[in-house]
Amino acid sequence: MASTLRLYLTCIRNTLEAAMCLQNFPCQEVERHNKPEIEMKTSPELLLNSVLICRNEAEKCLIETSINSLRISLKVKQADELENILTKKFLRFLSMRAEAFQVLRRKPVQGYDISFLITNYHCEEMQKHKLIDFIVQFMEDIDKEISELKMSVNTRGRLVATEFLKQFI
Amino acid sequence: MACLQRASPALKEILLKLYNAEKPMEIDHHLYEFGSVEYHIQSSASNPHFTYLSISTPLLSNQVLPPYGISYYTTEMVKALCSEVVEIVEPAKDGYQLTLQLNFTKIPHGKDSAKVITEISTVQSVILSSQLKEMLQNVNSHDAFQGMYKPIKLVYHPREPFFVIKQTQRIVAVFPMRFKEKSDVIIATAFFQELMDVGSLDKWAKAPPCTWAPIPPPELRGEPFEDLNTNGGFVSFDISSRHIEGKRLEKTVWSLLNFYAYVKYHVKCTRGFIQRRMRKRLDRLVEVLHKTNSEEDEQIKQDQDAGCGRMRRLVRPSKYHILKRRYGNLKNQIKKIRSRIKIHGFGQFRRRWLKIPKFSSSMGYKKLD
Repeated sequence: MASTLRLYLTCIRNTLEAAMCLQNFPCQEVERHNKPEIEMKTSPELLLNSVLICRNEAEKCLIETSINSLRISLKVKQADELENILTKKFLRFLSMRAEAFQVLRRKPVQGYDISFLITNYHCEEMQKHKLIDFIVQFMEDIDKEISELKMSVNTRGRLVATEFLKQFI
Repeated sequence: MACLQRASPALKEILLKLYNAEKPMEIDHHLYEFGSVEYHIQSSASNPHFTYLSISTPLLSNQVLPPYGISYYTTEMVKALCSEVVEIVEPAKDGYQLTLQLNFTKIPHGKDSAKVITEISTVQSVILSSQLKEMLQNVNSHDAFQGMYKPIKLVYHPREPFFVIKQTQRIVAVFPMRFKEKSDVIIATAFFQELMDVGSLDKWAKAPPCTWAPIPPPELRGEPFEDLNTNGGFVSFDISSRHIEGKRLEKTVWSLLNFYAYVKYHVKCTRGFIQRRMRKRLDRLVEVLHKTNSEEDEQIKQDQDAGCGRMRRLVRPSKYHILKRRYGNLKNQIKKIRSRIKIHGFGQFRRRWLKIPKFSSSMGYKKLD
């Protein structure tokens, strides 16, 4: 792993560890309702300052925290058009199957490629450090997958081009 | 066309069915392929030896070829398909460009029969490729105007025309590439770049040089705007005389005619590949999360088990307590027995020796009736 990526991921991990101290908190506006405050944003006193971690202009991570929920939004690097469509395709594919991940948001926050929503219930059901591990692992895997996909598409293209040119010889 | 095979699969199936039929069949089939190619297969029970196959296919170009019907060269090419079996009927049926009379009795039996029928099914591809071959051979240098050669527009598919430009030393084939989706454009562009890279290698020096550009090449200057309006750029092949010599001509013509289909097939397969890979990756990502959950459950279970064991080990009772507990248990058991203690033979002893005498009193009461 590149040292810059390791630093970026370590920073995200540390921030998540600090931010992920969630507790059950019923809605202050509606009786007998319990909603993620980071999504509703009904009471400003329940929201914490959001943290933006940037590796570069194209890669960043926004961590928004509230008393009972946490939202993590990621922007994945897209160096060229091929990476751009591969990233879009892959993240759309994942978002459409969000129910498999439990913590994945169906629609990313504006300006980002993918978003996660973690509530106090998720923290109670799953272990906190495991959730953080999953997020960091996810980020690593996405980068790796996009690079591998790009390489595979180019390799396939090269093989097909070779086969086409063979016909003339 | 979307089919990379030379033989039409549907036509082949029908002809094989006719050939293998034990009894003569009455058939009158109209078959359409790719929206614009029409076949008419006719066979009557009264004349089982002959089957009539008529074909109508759009012309490759209206600029060089006769407006309707097929040229002598094409007729010769069709005759050469399988001269013993195929005979051209003159004139062709109304609405068709060519009518063939097929004599199935002359088809050799065994494995060769399928081969011959497959060859007959390639009639449409033979017509089209012979048109292009003829064009490449007949375009003369006097078509040049002020040093520029007029491009010949070929319409193999209504939405996918391409251009052939014959120059003094070479023939340039230019393909304006159009795709419906942006993702297709990008996958195809990556392929064109690879095609250029591979073509520029020494190993492939004999292959026609390929160039891709987002803007139309200068050879197409003056062509109508709708033909030059693309989203995938322009792919050009420089075909030299060595690529159209002898047997290579056939291969070159077929490769050029099917370049669109080839690219589109590659794009489609690549999309499928990406989808398969994403599906696999999703499974692995979900597995990580589920593993986390199951590990967590196991951990809790282990903790619970380990906790009980530890407690047992910590609260180990002394001997006094053990004896006390056992005595208590025994006492409880005795208490549970509600009947009197029975001693074998004690009842008899009591009746004999411990008998209490009965006293009768004069003052005793008597029951009155």
